[in-house]
Amino acid sequence: MHVLFLHDAFPAQFGRLGLELKRRHGWKCSFLVQSLSSCPTPTTEMLQELDLHQLPLTVEHRSKEGIPWPQVFGMYLEQCQSVFNALRARPDLKPDLVVAHGGRGAPTLFLKDLLDCPIINYCEYYFATSHRDISYRIDLPPAEPAPFFPRCINAPTLASLVDCDAGYSATHWQKQSFPARFHSKIEVYFDGIDTELYRPGAAPRRIGEAALPAGTKVVTFVARGLESIRGFDLFMQVADRICRQRADVFFVVVGGEEIHYGWDKLHTGSPSFKQWVLNQGDHDLSRFLFPGRILPEHLADILRLSDLHIYLSAPFVVSWSLFNAMATGVPVLASDVPPVREVIEGGANGLLEPLFDIDRLTVTALEVLADPAGFFPLGIAARRTIEERYSIESCIPLIKRFFERVSLRLPR
Amino acid sequence: MAQDPLHVLWVEPHFPGRLGTVADWLVRRRGYRCWFYCHTAEAREHWPASVGHGLQLQVFGVGGAAREQAVAWSRTLERSLCYSYGCWEVLEARRPRPIDLIVGRSAGLGSTLFAPVYAPAPARVNLFDYYFHPRQNDLAAEIAADAPAAYVHWRRSANSIELLDLEQCDLAWTATNWQRHLFPVEYRDDLWVQHDGIATAGPGDVTPRDRRRARRSLAGRLVPEGTRVVSFVARSLERLRGFDRFWHAANALLRARADVVCAIVGDPVVQRGLDVQHNNRDYPAQLRDAAPPVDPERLWFLGRATPGAVAEVLAASDLHLAPGRSYPVARSLLEAMAAGCIVLASDTAPHREVISHGQTGLLADVADPEALYRQALVVLSNLDEHRPLGDAAAELVRSRYAQEVCLPVLAERFSTLAATRGRR
Repeated sequence: MHVLFLHDAFPAQFGRLGLELKRRHGWKCSFLVQSLSSCPTPTTEMLQELDLHQLPLTVEHRSKEGIPWPQVFGMYLEQCQSVFNALRARPDLKPDLVVAHGGRGAPTLFLKDLLDCPIINYCEYYFATSHRDISYRIDLPPAEPAPFFPRCINAPTLASLVDCDAGYSATHWQKQSFPARFHSKIEVYFDGIDTELYRPGAAPRRIGEAALPAGTKVVTFVARGLESIRGFDLFMQVADRICRQRADVFFVVVGGEEIHYGWDKLHTGSPSFKQWVLNQGDHDLSRFLFPGRILPEHLADILRLSDLHIYLSAPFVVSWSLFNAMATGVPVLASDVPPVREVIEGGANGLLEPLFDIDRLTVTALEVLADPAGFFPLGIAARRTIEERYSIESCIPLIKRFFERVSLRLPR
Repeated sequence: MAQDPLHVLWVEPHFPGRLGTVADWLVRRRGYRCWFYCHTAEAREHWPASVGHGLQLQVFGVGGAAREQAVAWSRTLERSLCYSYGCWEVLEARRPRPIDLIVGRSAGLGSTLFAPVYAPAPARVNLFDYYFHPRQNDLAAEIAADAPAAYVHWRRSANSIELLDLEQCDLAWTATNWQRHLFPVEYRDDLWVQHDGIATAGPGDVTPRDRRRARRSLAGRLVPEGTRVVSFVARSLERLRGFDRFWHAANALLRARADVVCAIVGDPVVQRGLDVQHNNRDYPAQLRDAAPPVDPERLWFLGRATPGAVAEVLAASDLHLAPGRSYPVARSLLEAMAAGCIVLASDTAPHREVISHGQTGLLADVADPEALYRQALVVLSNLDEHRPLGDAAAELVRSRYAQEVCLPVLAERFSTLAATRGRR
């Protein structure tokens, strides 16, 4: 079996999956990607064992500033054209199956003119015009494109979804984000968490260069970008209140300053939502560490030090960091929103409080910090949830069967 | 069924276009009040009667990519969004209200996509004309194989605004079953099929005439007694509507029968982006160069397809030819049927939906280049025997495609839909 994976970045969702399919089942896994990712970074094994091909990047794709929102579909089509040209130039690449990430539309629209194999879309998300994702934070100052962009952002997603042979989403909530008419085409298979890397255990009691004083409690917050959709501003409000209540708490906030979703630059007029938030309050930054983006191994160590992990996302695709924290056995306090409720049952394998209720979030966080042993069972249950439903070991066999079935064009 | 009049916002790139006629009927016959937002409008003399009397016309400007003469295929959605945004800007500035219903015809440029930003409560209806297939229908089956890759890429990507409108409208509406089946299977169940009808009752409308009467005239020219008039009508004289096939058949008929006159209505300059080879060019001139007419005196070019010109030529026609490619049925075909013409059309799926071969018209196999000519010759040789086809066609249109049949159904659906939603 030869699978060709298409994704902007590597390894993202597919790198580890490809590596496991190669190692466990001898599949050939090729990748056509635009760039190597910094979150997470590719491992040496991935780079050595997988068949990587890089797409030539256009000037627009290199731009950090992005392009005006009405041009997003054009950029998607140019990406489709690039993939088409790259594969046309490589007639020796004859996959049995194409698996393409469709975060902003899978770039597969022209491949049926070249390839005779089935195409699977990774159906990451379908944006809403209100009450979810980038349209959720109506508490922030208005942004000019906010009423318009969500009404057209799904054009690439729709075009590729209509065209593909099958799709899969990582969670049921992500699948439900798509129009009901497509639900029969989309199955649910989670990517798989590395439970060997993210596991409970001891870690060096150091944060950066400094040793952690004995008895210090660590609270973690992790997001690829420190932005409003992931609730960074709300977290800082909770953290400030915790600081005022307890002197023994230290906060580690992992994530870059890039804004990946929504209108934070327009909401705030600041290029960095993180800086805008920090400038708003009177934060005691001596009790915070912002290491930026870090390697997975370092993140695993930090999570093992954590006494409480706070996850305050708006209703949107659940971050890997939540799964990683749960796999590490950290008690998690998360926003009580539908995508999180699919993973966390409040009081059973984590704690849920309303996203905007800073009072309740603070009270619950303080309860955990006051009695870590009392909340230890939540972490154990969280670890079990990941092992049973979201680990690589539990997910890979299901995905493999799905890929085989679609490649053979067998019915569900 | 009695219905309360509604306040409706209409959006279409050009006025009166297709929806303007519907809006006009609803104003005149049901007391609706309408705002019609468009980017361009016909000259005032072609406006329907209700403009200024219940139908208020509003032109909106466009910016960005929509101001460019032409855009690359990859920027078609961007251009559509500029139209949608331009419409929204004028809605915000003019603030029409109340609005019970929004009805749009996307047609690539007239989307109502951003109208709900101004008026979120009213239900939204979208009329869908067409869904591109990369290598099928219209001219693609003939030219895609030899066209540059960009042609097929464009066709694969050109449905984006339709997909967005399909997802966001409350009622997806299309005119025929064939058009419905063009759309992805996921959307077909939701597409409501209802033709918007053709005018058959008014003083200038097409109606069956007595074709045995002696004197006929076309554009002031008397048609000699005993002449067989073969008609062709299209917005422009183009391949999509089969003007090349008509030209071939017409030459053969002129050669075979001295009593044949071909009456041709349509703009000689092709106005069809789909015909990438001939758009904005004089297609008849090219055909003339390639295959000179047997007898130019018997080829009567009657100019643009104004309602008057169409009605006159159909009233005089003995045989109407509609040899177009697979594409939504031309209104002129239904108008020819309504006028009681004997219609000979290409045997395509869209034509089979409205013509039953041997009952309401005749269908010719387009794979056989001589089939059209041969069948036409048979008809012209014995008009009386074929006249029942025209009578049956007129009856079919009266019962199924007349405005008086179609638009009450549409009005009822609009009322029901508006009742389920709020008003702005």
